[in-house]
Amino acid sequence: MNIWKVSQQNIKAKPLYTFLSVFILALSIALLFGIQQLETSLKYQMENNLGAIDLVIGAKGSPLQLVLSSVLHIDNPTGNILYEDAKKISKNPLIKTAVPIAYGDNYKGYRIVGTTDEFAALYHGKLEKGREPKKAMEVILGHTVAEQENLKIGDTLLSSHGLVENDIDLHSEYLTVVGIYQPTKKVIDRLIVTNLKSVWEVHHHHNNKEEHKKEEDHLQHHENLDEGKEITSLLVSFRSPLALLTLPKRINEHTNMQAALPKYELEKLYQYTGIGFKTISWIAYMILVISCLSIFISLYKMVKERAFDLALLRTYGASNFQLIRMVAYEGLTIGFLAFMLGLLLSKAGLYFLFKMVQTQYKQNMLQELPYQQFLQTGALVSILILISISLAIYPIIKMNIATILSHEK
Amino acid sequence: MVQTDNLIFHYKKKENHIFKFPDITLNEQENLLILGKSGIGKTTLLHLLAGLLNPVSGKVMIEGVAIHTLSHWGLDKFRGQHIGLIFQKNYAVQSLNIVENLQARLFFSRKSVNNKTIDFFLEQLGLKDCKKSKANELSEGQLQRLGIAMAVIHGPKVILADEPTSSLDDENCEMVINLLINQAKQTNANLIVITHDHRIKPLFSNSISL
Repeated sequence: MNIWKVSQQNIKAKPLYTFLSVFILALSIALLFGIQQLETSLKYQMENNLGAIDLVIGAKGSPLQLVLSSVLHIDNPTGNILYEDAKKISKNPLIKTAVPIAYGDNYKGYRIVGTTDEFAALYHGKLEKGREPKKAMEVILGHTVAEQENLKIGDTLLSSHGLVENDIDLHSEYLTVVGIYQPTKKVIDRLIVTNLKSVWEVHHHHNNKEEHKKEEDHLQHHENLDEGKEITSLLVSFRSPLALLTLPKRINEHTNMQAALPKYELEKLYQYTGIGFKTISWIAYMILVISCLSIFISLYKMVKERAFDLALLRTYGASNFQLIRMVAYEGLTIGFLAFMLGLLLSKAGLYFLFKMVQTQYKQNMLQELPYQQFLQTGALVSILILISISLAIYPIIKMNIATILSHEK
Repeated sequence: MVQTDNLIFHYKKKENHIFKFPDITLNEQENLLILGKSGIGKTTLLHLLAGLLNPVSGKVMIEGVAIHTLSHWGLDKFRGQHIGLIFQKNYAVQSLNIVENLQARLFFSRKSVNNKTIDFFLEQLGLKDCKKSKANELSEGQLQRLGIAMAVIHGPKVILADEPTSSLDDENCEMVINLLINQAKQTNANLIVITHDHRIKPLFSNSISL
C-alpha cells in the first residue's frame, strides 16, 4: 500500500465521475490536435504543391479554379488554351521554364496529365523504376497510383474520358506503364504522367469515334485539331521576380488567356479557411478550459466530500503533503488518460475523415503534426491540469482535522 | 505514559468559553475512563491528547515527548506512530476495502505492511470473512471492530476512544470495551475512553469526571 495505490482506489471508487472527466478532457484534446493537424496538413499541401510554379496561365475564368485544377489537381480546368499561344509566351526572357499540361482523361479517378519531361522537375520528382515516356501512349505513374492500383512497369491501362472515374466512357487505346516515380508526398504521387502527344492522340481518336454519330461536328473538330493543338494550362517559373510585376498584367490584358499567381490565390483561400480553423481552435480551447474546470470541480468536490476520509488519513499519520500528493496523482491520472484517449480519438477521427477525402481526391493528405506543436499542446494541457490540482488542494492545506472529526459524528 | 499539565483551551470564536482540564497522569498499563455530559469538552480533551488541537496553555506529554512542541510534520509522524484513535462511528476510508484500510494505516504510520499481522487482527476481531468488503458494506458491529483494528494494528502507545459504545447494545458494549482493554494490554498501551455511557464504568478501575 502506498499513496499511489490509495489514489488509484479513489479513482476506481467513482468510475462515472472519472469517466466523465476523462471523456470531456479527451474530447477537447482530440479537437485541438485534430484541428491543428488538419491545418498543418492543408498548409503543407498548399505550400508544398506549389513546387517551383510561380504562375499559371490558362483559359479565362476563376483564377482560384485555375490554380486548384492545374497546381493542386483537384478542381476542373477553366478550359483549354492554344498550344501555339502558350509557346509564344514561353519565349519571354523573364520566364525560366514553362511546362504545358493537358488534361482530359483519368484512370480510376487518377488524372492523366499530358506534359513534358520538365513537369516532374517542378516537384523534384525522380524515377524510382523505368524510364521517361519516349512515344505516345506511354505513361509514368505517381507512387500512390502504382501502389493503390497495384500496377507495375509493362502493365497496360485503359483510360476513361473526363476527370471523374467512370466505366462508360472508356477509350479504346491502351496506355503502357514505362516508369514509376519515387514518393514525393506531393501532388505528383497521385498523377499519371504522359507526354502531350498521348493526350492529343487519345482525343483525336475519341473525336473520330464521335464522328460516326455527328457528321456535322466532325469537320469543325478536325479543323480545330489541325489548326492548333490545345493544352489546359502552362506552369511557369520566373527567371527573376521582376516578371511578377509585368507578366501577369500583360497576359490578362492583352491575350484571351488568364495568368493566376498560385501563391496569392492559395494564400487567399487559406485566409478564408483560416477563419474556420481559428473559430474551431477557439472552441477547442474553450472546451479545454471547461474540462479542466470540471477536473478542478471533481477534485475539489472529492476533497470536500471526503474531508472525513482525509482527516482520518491524517490521524493515521499522513502528512498534508502526502494527501496533496494523493489528490495530485488522481488529477494527473485523469489528465494522462484523457491525453492518451484524446490523441487516439484525434488519430481515429482524422483517419476516417481523410479516408473519405482520399476516395474523393485520391490522395493521402494527412500530415503528421510537427513535434513542436504536439509538445506545445501537451504542455498547455499539463499546465491547466496542474492549475486545477493546485486549486483543488487548497482545502487540504486549510483543513482543520479536529473540527471535521467532531462535526462528522 | 501519558501526562497532562494545566491544559487550558478555548475555541477561537468563543474566547469567553474556556475549558480547563484536570491533570492526568497514567503510568504504563494504566487505563482511564473520562466521564462527562455532552458539551463539557470531552472530545476537545481527546483532540488535545491526540495533538489535533493546540492548547492555549499547558502541555501534553506522551512517552516523555511534549507533543505540542513538535513541528507540524513531526506531530503528524508522532501521531501516526504512537496514537490510535477510535471514533463513535467507526469510519474507514470509503474507497478502500478492509485489508487496504489496514494496509494504508500501517503505511501512513511508517510501519512495514505485514499481511500476517493484518490477518491475525482480522481473525481476532472476527472480520476474516469480509476482508475484501468496503467500509459501507459492513454492519455497525463490524465497523466498530474494524475501528478497533485500525486503532491498534500499528502498536500505539496510547489508544484514545471517543464514545466507542454509544450506539451499541449492552452485550456489544461490554464486548467492545473488553476487546479494547485486551488490545491495550497486548500492545502495552494506555487506553483512554471518554464517554457519557455509565454502563462501562464498572469495567474501569480508574475514572475521572469532567
